Amino acid sequence: MYKNYLKIAWRSIKGDKLFTFIKVGGFAMGIAACLLIALFINDELSYDQQYKNKDRIYRVVLQGVMDGELRKSVHFQLPFADALQSDFPEIEKAGKINMSELFGAGKRGLRLAGESQNNFEDGFVFANQNILEILEISLEQGNTNEALLQPGNIVISKSKSDKYFPHGEALGKTIVLDNNTSKPYTITGVMPDFPKNSHLKFNFLLPIEDTNMSWTNQNYFTYVLVDENTDIPALEKKMFSIMENYVIPAQMARGRAPDFIEILKTIEYKLQPIGDIHLRSDLAMGDGLKHGDIRFVWLFGAIAGFVLLLACINFINLSTAKSANRAKEVGLRKTVGAFKSNLVAQFLTESVFFSIISFMLGLMLAWALLPAFNSIAAKSILFPWEVWWFVPLMVASALFIGILAGMYPAFYLSAFRPVSVLKGSLSVGSKSGKLRSGLVVFQFATSVILIIGTLIIYKQMDYIQHKELGYNKEQVVILDGANILGNKSESFKEQLLQLPQVQTVTISDYLPIDGAKRNGNTFKKTGEGIEDRGVPAQIWRVDYDYIKTLGIKVKEGRDFSREFASDSINSMIINDQMAHELGYDNPIGKHINNGMDWAIVGVVKDFHFKSLKEDIAPLSLVIANNDSGAISVKLKSGNIGESLASIEAIWNRNVPNQTFAYSFLDQKFSQMHEDVERMGKIFNSFAMFAILVACLGLFALSAFMVEQRKKEISIRLVLGAPFESIYKLLTLDFLKLILLAILIAIPIGWYMMNRWLEDFAYKINIGWEIFFVAGGIALIIAVVTISYQSIGAALTKPLKSLRTE
Amino acid sequence: MLLKLNNIFKWVNSGGQRVFLLKDINLSVEEGEFISVMGPSGSGKSTLLNVIGMLDNFDEGEYSFLDEPVHTLKEKHRANLYKQYIGFVFQSYHLLDDLTVQENLEMPLLYKKVGSSERKSLVADTLDRFNIVGKKDLFPAQLSGGQQQLVGIARALISSPKLILADEPTGNLNSKQGEEIMELFKQLNSEGVTIIQVTHSEKNATYGSRIINLLDGRKI
Repeated sequence: MYKNYLKIAWRSIKGDKLFTFIKVGGFAMGIAACLLIALFINDELSYDQQYKNKDRIYRVVLQGVMDGELRKSVHFQLPFADALQSDFPEIEKAGKINMSELFGAGKRGLRLAGESQNNFEDGFVFANQNILEILEISLEQGNTNEALLQPGNIVISKSKSDKYFPHGEALGKTIVLDNNTSKPYTITGVMPDFPKNSHLKFNFLLPIEDTNMSWTNQNYFTYVLVDENTDIPALEKKMFSIMENYVIPAQMARGRAPDFIEILKTIEYKLQPIGDIHLRSDLAMGDGLKHGDIRFVWLFGAIAGFVLLLACINFINLSTAKSANRAKEVGLRKTVGAFKSNLVAQFLTESVFFSIISFMLGLMLAWALLPAFNSIAAKSILFPWEVWWFVPLMVASALFIGILAGMYPAFYLSAFRPVSVLKGSLSVGSKSGKLRSGLVVFQFATSVILIIGTLIIYKQMDYIQHKELGYNKEQVVILDGANILGNKSESFKEQLLQLPQVQTVTISDYLPIDGAKRNGNTFKKTGEGIEDRGVPAQIWRVDYDYIKTLGIKVKEGRDFSREFASDSINSMIINDQMAHELGYDNPIGKHINNGMDWAIVGVVKDFHFKSLKEDIAPLSLVIANNDSGAISVKLKSGNIGESLASIEAIWNRNVPNQTFAYSFLDQKFSQMHEDVERMGKIFNSFAMFAILVACLGLFALSAFMVEQRKKEISIRLVLGAPFESIYKLLTLDFLKLILLAILIAIPIGWYMMNRWLEDFAYKINIGWEIFFVAGGIALIIAVVTISYQSIGAALTKPLKSLRTE
Repeated sequence: MLLKLNNIFKWVNSGGQRVFLLKDINLSVEEGEFISVMGPSGSGKSTLLNVIGMLDNFDEGEYSFLDEPVHTLKEKHRANLYKQYIGFVFQSYHLLDDLTVQENLEMPLLYKKVGSSERKSLVADTLDRFNIVGKKDLFPAQLSGGQQQLVGIARALISSPKLILADEPTGNLNSKQGEEIMELFKQLNSEGVTIIQVTHSEKNATYGSRIINLLDGRKI
């Protein structure tokens, strides 16, 4: 029996190749898209799941309302972790990490003792011994229990060990950081590389050397390992005693205003499970790590579901549409004695058969597309062939979807009454017209929503790229690892300025891009009492050419100048926002202090020094000689390659033992927003998938409709219908559906994308033109798809279908 | 002279062999004639009718309709010609199921871009003339076969064609209904409409003024 079913299934495939191609191809595409997204989601969800104690590891987060705004932070004081461990018995261990560049984390120049060539390395971080234990880092070489106990210890990753000690002899070797031969480090451990799906990724762990036990400086991420069965909400409440016992007394001793102390009293400590960090951290926490976003996971999940649904709908739609041709078969089978159950079984077999073929094709397609998808999504996902559940899961899904998709056609077809079918009086298929129309509307509405999403993301992207930033990011080269120049940096700068291609040069680590140095502090108006709560602001250490090099506009007062001796002592330039928050209408000449007294000599126009997702915050610039890691060079327009070569020559003359490393300011700026770009690309890909699937469906459906109405069309043609009227007749019906789909999609798309744009402090307005364009695209695609069929129908010879009567 | 066929051949190639559907047909039809085409199944009756109605092409020969050489005309021209002068009546009526009687009648006028008021009066006249005013809002499925064919003929006549081509118009009807239809044809013919009908029935053939017999695509 089943052999017979399969034979029929095979023949119906062979019989109508185009139809089969659309049915199977569309389904396979849907499966491939769904599978890719599923792999993406699986990867996102796998972050930080590798810890044995993952249910007991938490990151501490502080949150409170300040000026009506919910603020969060993950930075804590140096003694905070130790206080947690000693004050709360349920906290088994508390560890701390310092990732601040101000302390020397991040990028360093590294060389082996006895060698002269410096290598520029990233991924340095300060951590205490507890971190090794909490994060379950078990050293491949060295003693895990004491690797980070002594100053001068360093733990390096396996890949770095392989790089510098290819024979595995790293342990006990000495390395020098940033030319500082007076303070060498001894390798006390080699740790396995952090997995790709860990929110923390470091290459070098240094013991904490900071000894400032102040309760007012916050620089440390704090992680805790709690006892099993700890009541977390209760512990969070209890943790407030830290605030009461340590923080508030320290702030009061510093003379902070009473209303600030009142705010501190409303602050809460929260424990964030380590598994939540990747997907459920928000920007307000300011941890500077690259995170995923749980909303995107949901969104992509929804898209995957929709694409699969679209494909299933096509499958069902096309199966029922084709039923007219199968009705006779059903009638015949019934008259020769088939029971309804036989027919249901037959059609289900057929459907499962199609489903399995589609799954195989879909798997191959996904496998072929995975590298492209990885590059779009910035992932390195592998196809999980070797995971034990993967193949069984695919087979089960194929069966399940096959049965699900076959259910409707199976019961629909098998319900035909044989007599009426054989007599030919039943106009088959037209009865479920409403359902089919509904499905077309659904498919196109989904496509239009995705098109709207793509357009808006691209528009926002374009807005970011062309936004007036308040500084000029073009033609600026940043030289990395420049702290190696030490006190030679000024003379290096002079040499650069001799080059005809160089316009200006500035030495400062503080740049308006991610990964540059930041330093926050609180400023009070000099002369006001403790009632002044102060303004939290960035204080950036720059040189005389900083404003010129970055093209920042001075709005009031003046730029720094060597002609004013005071500039190198206590002159300060602030941004508009800071003037505003200080409440100064005319800030020039006013004094503010943060423990040091500063005289405001200028105000610059606000410029974006963070991602456009964030508002511009108060910022101040002061002159300071610092051995900066970055030197920025503004080039005159001209041949960039030549200019770089000249700069490199000067670099090599000054620093023979470290390779020249550079980046461009505009590239760094783009990198800050690459998540947006990625979103755009992913959206775009899936929008195309959805449209393709929807079009395949529409194509087959219009073919079916034409088939159904062949007789009617012929009669009309014989009665003198001109081409246009037949074309309109066939096309308009579908166009109405497409228009309805567009109308449904617009508010949904608008709502969704509005939510997405809420992330940005600076964003585009969603104008009507986007909906026009999105609707227009869908409409054009639909018209082209349908036209193929309706033009064909309008051009047929009427005789062909009338003669058969 | 309404139309003239000279040495018309039509064939299909089947399995390397040429099978003739029409073979050397010569026929001239004057206005006002009522011709019956007879012959066994497969003798080419319907094909001949379709060729005359310009719904089908032929492979060889000459055909002039109202002194227009049909064989040299472009497809579009030809279509205009038949749309203007020829009305078709089918064995299985070919009414549109989704349209009422009135709407079915109106359709050819719509395609001819006849103005709304003229259309209304033409439809009203025709309903009246065929005595089907009471049925104007019914759908084809609600009518008997005879009534449906009545509507079919009314539809063919509504744009006042010079020629009516009827392919076994009574084939699906009982004898009484068939008789009524044939009486109607006779009456129309007496009013000046030229009719060519294909029929199996000797009796129906006698309504015509001339009988053409076909066998294997050949006139005998």
